[in-house]
Amino acid sequence: MTTVLAPMEGTAVGLAAVPDPVFSAGMVGPGTAIDPLRGPGKAVAPIAGKIMKLHPHAYVIVGDDGKGVLVHLGIDTVQLKGAGFQLLAAEGDRVSAGQPVVAWDPSAIEAGGRSPVCPVVALDALSEELTGVAEGAVHVGDELFRWG
Amino acid sequence: MGERKVTVAAEVGLHARPAATFVQRAKLAPMDITVAKTHGGGPVNGKSILAIMALDVRQGESVVISAEGEGADEVLDELAKIASTP
Repeated sequence: MTTVLAPMEGTAVGLAAVPDPVFSAGMVGPGTAIDPLRGPGKAVAPIAGKIMKLHPHAYVIVGDDGKGVLVHLGIDTVQLKGAGFQLLAAEGDRVSAGQPVVAWDPSAIEAGGRSPVCPVVALDALSEELTGVAEGAVHVGDELFRWG
Repeated sequence: MGERKVTVAAEVGLHARPAATFVQRAKLAPMDITVAKTHGGGPVNGKSILAIMALDVRQGESVVISAEGEGADEVLDELAKIASTP
């Protein structure tokens, strides 16, 4: 079983609240989303593993069991082409759960007219595989959901 | 074995929305679907969003989508259309 941690502080609002149908309809996979605390912060690895993909606005960590978790920092943030994001790790790095991966500021994303809400998705999972999905206030590193 | 070679047209490559749309359609197919890059990489499981993301297909790169069995042509046509949609 994989325990997925909150990659940032904020409010767990569920994927249905994400203003992008790719996430809200569960097309990428099940999980939840965090409406992040506004202000400069660091998004951390939700699980231990290897950084399989690292974009400024999104990253995928794959655990030793092959399970991949996507963290997407804000919606339509690919359009920012990295502006406002600072990478704190590199693609291919091994990270521990809770290790900082990207520094960013949700309030800057919001000021630019985009939603700073962050989907945290269990890739290729079935929704019934997830349990204990957190709702409401979460701190960075809190248990967000269990997978498997 | 049926296959289609297509050039990925989306600016983000075969990631995000195009990848999710592709995998969602592939999952509906009864047969195995594989995707390979024409210039190295794969074949990977076309029904896995993780595998497609890991394949890391960029805009302008070509992939070969493969499937066999009854209805494969129709599935391949639809997947090729998704992958080649800007």
